[in-house]
Amino acid sequence: MDFLAEGFRRAWGLLVAGDSEVYGIALLTLKVAVVATAISCAVGLPLGYFLATRRFWGRRAALTVVNTALAFPTVVVGLLLYGLLSRRGPLGGLGWLYTWQAIVVGDVLLALPIAAALSAAAVQGVDPRIRRTAATLGAGSWRTAWTVVREARFALAAVITAAFGQVVAEIGAAMMVGGNIRGSTRTLTTAVALYTAQGDFGLALALGLVLLILALVVNIALQVLQGRGHA
Amino acid sequence: MLELRGVRHRYEGRVVLDLEQFTIPRTGATAVVGHNGAGKSTLLRLLALLETPTQGQVLFDGTVVPRRSPAALRRRVTLVEQRPILFRGTVRENLEYGLRVRDVGRTAANGILADVVERLGLQALLSRRRHELSDGEIQRVAVARALALRTDVLLLDEPASSADRAAAGALYRALAAERAARPFAVCIASHQLEDAYRWADDIRALAEGRLSPVTPENLFRVELPAGDGVKTVRVGTIALVLMTDRTGPAVVAVSPTDIFVSREPLPSSARNVLKGRVTGMAIEHRGAGVHVRADMGGVELVAAVTAEAARDLALTPGGAVVFSFKASAVQVF
Repeated sequence: MDFLAEGFRRAWGLLVAGDSEVYGIALLTLKVAVVATAISCAVGLPLGYFLATRRFWGRRAALTVVNTALAFPTVVVGLLLYGLLSRRGPLGGLGWLYTWQAIVVGDVLLALPIAAALSAAAVQGVDPRIRRTAATLGAGSWRTAWTVVREARFALAAVITAAFGQVVAEIGAAMMVGGNIRGSTRTLTTAVALYTAQGDFGLALALGLVLLILALVVNIALQVLQGRGHA
Repeated sequence: MLELRGVRHRYEGRVVLDLEQFTIPRTGATAVVGHNGAGKSTLLRLLALLETPTQGQVLFDGTVVPRRSPAALRRRVTLVEQRPILFRGTVRENLEYGLRVRDVGRTAANGILADVVERLGLQALLSRRRHELSDGEIQRVAVARALALRTDVLLLDEPASSADRAAAGALYRALAAERAARPFAVCIASHQLEDAYRWADDIRALAEGRLSPVTPENLFRVELPAGDGVKTVRVGTIALVLMTDRTGPAVVAVSPTDIFVSREPLPSSARNVLKGRVTGMAIEHRGAGVHVRADMGGVELVAAVTAEAARDLALTPGGAVVFSFKASAVQVF
């Protein structure tokens, strides 16, 4: 127990002192998470709406693929992305391997199925009369979609939370394509793993607490936004 | 104006609507009557251009509507569903929805809203949200939301099913006022013949997805004499005894299920006892009932009896029959 208490004391000290390494890692993690969540939701939410509302050949298969991708192991995504981004890979020319952009790409690949599958489920949960009513009142497809999104806003906010949660807690792909380089691609999860392995439990715990606080703040912010809505 | 041609519409392989032709004229009120599940709501959704028929065509002003109907065309017709739904937001925001879609200016929109709000008595509801409204109020708001759009075609699916008597009256008065104010087509689907009798210029019956050749029965236009209480009116060669305080032109109806059928006149309290001859018998919904059509000296009446009763009475076309019904069974609209 002393060992744990000592870890918490060290963590608190680092956070209060504004340790530059801790806050640098936290800021990079936040940047990667926000960019990856934004991209995956910008693509995944419309994709989910499309899958939920349009009838086309192969729709069921597309939904199965998206749902299967939910369970894609992060290290496998990291491995595939490593192959693509390595110097000999087809995307090697981008020079993104071991950069924060590579981590974003990995995170997007992991969060995109979450955004698409869960938003499809959220839209399917909206009463079908909403779409019919919007259409019969003269709304075009964009306004109809917006009306449906307004109805499903609670579920869609949960989708964004889930995507952010996936991205911010991801370690496999971040480790493999980011490289865990100090001051460059070290995120909270890769740093926690590294410092724990090195025996610096206090620093690892401090970073773990920052990760929890980050997740908590984002969730509270989304809940506040949801709470503003009325039926 | 709106026409379905050669339409066979399927849900999961089952034909739910099979219409050679169905037309809604440019002006006037058409009523579609039929049992629950007869295909009325599907018909209205096709007419509202919300669904595309599996087979056949929808024509608007003589032009075939493409599979994905353009919004500009959809804006000329609107549907109020049987169980309408309101969007998130206040009643006022709901009423404004279609006007915003059409980019109607704020001043014009306010004028239109004030008009429909007054006609349907919605002043007290304007700032309420959907969970604060009863089913009847939601239905009234939905009708107002549709009326505000002033479309060329207004489709109403059981518009007064959740309304109480007063609200239903207000709703139909608003509809009548709108019809008096401008020419447009209105089509009402209802399983209540009363609605159809009262408001429609043309009544079509739908059964099992098909237009039924049997139109709503026992409906007559009469001139009611002055005075209160029991009156006798002439319908062709027969006299109908009925109870009403109204005077002047009216429509009267006798529900086929309110008519007692016998071979000979029976002593009873019924004030209307009519002798005639059976002209036709049709097995009704699922074979449980029989519609007995009889000629009462130039006036045709239809009575509904169970298949068992028809067998016991040994009714046959051409045979003598007596229809009896109370004065209070004659509805006045």
